[in-house]
Amino acid sequence: MTAASDVSMAAPRAAARRRSRDWSGALLNGYLLVFFAYMFLPLGFMVIAAFNAAPTPSATDWQGFTLRWFTELPQDKRFVQGLWHSLAIAGGVIAFSIPLGLSGAFILTRMQSRVTTVLYTVLVSPVLIPGIVLGVTTMIFWRDYFGLQAGLFTAMIAQTSFIASYCMLMFMARLQRQDRVLEEAALDLGATPMLVFRRITIPFLMPTILTACVISFLQSIENYNTTFFAIGSSWTLVTEIGSRMRFGLSPIINAIGVIFIAITITVAVTHTLVTRKRA
Amino acid sequence: MGELTKIYGRGLTFLFVGLVTIWILLMIVVPQIRMIERAFTFEDRGGETAMLALDIDHAYTEKFQIEQQLLTLQQQGSSGTKSSPAAPSPFTPSMTVPGAAPTAPGPGLAPSPSASPQNAMSAEERQAEAADLRSQIAALESRITDMEAQEDTSSGEAGMKERLSLDNFTTMSALHFKIFLMTLLYAFTVTVFAFVICYPVAYAAAMAESRNKLTLILIGLVIPYAINELLRIFSWVMILEKNGILNAFLDGIGIIDMSAGEGFRFVASNGAVFTVMVYAYVLFMVFPIYNTIDTLDKSQIEAARDLGASVWKIHTRVVIPHAKPGIAVGSIMTFMLSAGSIAAPEIVGRGMHPDWFSQLIYRRFFEADSWNQGSAYSLALLTACIIFILITMAIFKVGVKDIAK
Repeated sequence: MTAASDVSMAAPRAAARRRSRDWSGALLNGYLLVFFAYMFLPLGFMVIAAFNAAPTPSATDWQGFTLRWFTELPQDKRFVQGLWHSLAIAGGVIAFSIPLGLSGAFILTRMQSRVTTVLYTVLVSPVLIPGIVLGVTTMIFWRDYFGLQAGLFTAMIAQTSFIASYCMLMFMARLQRQDRVLEEAALDLGATPMLVFRRITIPFLMPTILTACVISFLQSIENYNTTFFAIGSSWTLVTEIGSRMRFGLSPIINAIGVIFIAITITVAVTHTLVTRKRA
Repeated sequence: MGELTKIYGRGLTFLFVGLVTIWILLMIVVPQIRMIERAFTFEDRGGETAMLALDIDHAYTEKFQIEQQLLTLQQQGSSGTKSSPAAPSPFTPSMTVPGAAPTAPGPGLAPSPSASPQNAMSAEERQAEAADLRSQIAALESRITDMEAQEDTSSGEAGMKERLSLDNFTTMSALHFKIFLMTLLYAFTVTVFAFVICYPVAYAAAMAESRNKLTLILIGLVIPYAINELLRIFSWVMILEKNGILNAFLDGIGIIDMSAGEGFRFVASNGAVFTVMVYAYVLFMVFPIYNTIDTLDKSQIEAARDLGASVWKIHTRVVIPHAKPGIAVGSIMTFMLSAGSIAAPEIVGRGMHPDWFSQLIYRRFFEADSWNQGSAYSLALLTACIIFILITMAIFKVGVKDIAK
């Protein structure tokens, strides 16, 4: 699109402008390189240290290649148990967040009233307030009113309170693009609201529901701040990693890091390529 | 409401409204109200409960130390084939026992010097010692259970007088208040840094000439963004450690001599926490800004350029005004994450650097066992964040609907 506008320009001025644009373009590209080096180098060091035989994680003090840290990982009972806790919490979070997010999205997109703005503010507020506050309030609330000690359940509830908001925002974005004529036509032709909902609305939302499941799952597994406060004496994989990090560095953490990074890269690249193909 | 029932029928509408009501009441509004209520309730606790809490803390510390001894013993015995059966409980965090912190529970580490005399022991002696330690742990555990039960009964309505007051806030010491302000200041600076670092990246991504370049940039941004916060923090701890990469680099170019024991201890300082936070939260700024710049009609930039606007003018008069909602969202997210971060100060600081406000909140709850003051502190943090959000919304002239997209 730049070429078209350039043609109509007087030649010398255009050339001068192109030169300055080349110059600033090169500067921008150089900056991008520096930025990505800043982003990826630390992670690279972490990966290298996972394969280093040195007993403290190090990328500079090379003591030979080893896979020992990976083989020790499944023998660590607290990590394995933590992984099961994380998965259980993530399952609960998905089961609660999707229905809550959907309900909120339906009400907010279909109700025209002055209350909507207030309702919207309340429902997105968990996204905007610090995670530790969510953890604290959940812990206090369930202990004071239900006598429930902090644990896996409170951690799940605390996570749901903000992950449901993320889901709601995703569903709202999708619903705003929906052509309502289809639903109205079906209703006019005598379909029951339940049938319309099942045959039109849900299929229309299905891709977003799947994405929301994946994102809720990842958010839940990765969450630290909220979970740290709400989980009490129990633990998840990530809070366990956090407490190990505080006790000192061990290459086992790097091994977990490599696994996390591998999974992340796979998901991220697949997602980007899939959305790109669709676009 | 009428439109809702028209489309979804009575049953479904009832279900949606019910679910949202439960969500709002049980997960958002009532918990917040309860926190506020506690924040304004001052517990006039007798010395007894406080002493008990202190005793429990001590018992936990002791238990942790014995567990560490046991662990070292087992490592000597089985030369690192067995992994730890008695891993430390998450409730004996490093800050209560700074002395015991460096002995990481991972097997295969060098035994701590205090345990080295035990090297000479035979297998039987070692087992006897281990059995002894285990019985000590068991005894401590039962004592802890007893004391906690006692604490629960005494911290009930009987044990202390409660009254409505501002004391939870006014008893905040000058030091804590200073930490509060410093945390906010640091969080604000992180936000400014994040904007300066991210704006060119977001602009470059939005202006990418080819789809391939855009895809490459986006993948490059998504990968570090999606990698767990803790790991991003951890990777920097490796760099900043005393035996870390930065010191090795300085050694390499001849500024310091690591073999002579020289080297800077970068970790456990506010500067280190700040550096790590910029790295960990910078990407929360990129995506919102990219999304808004991406919607800018590129011919506007062309037009400005043709009319002779300088690069600076193009950005300040065309691109940034358009990107306002994105900048607002990015700032709010970055500020909120850094002000409320517990991971970065805990891991980078190792309990040795000046506290972050989030750590104070944690200690009010889990070490001082003063939930009401903890609530007051979290309320202070929450209020600060809300004020920041309101100010940002006013400066960038955006509404709630724009910020949460």
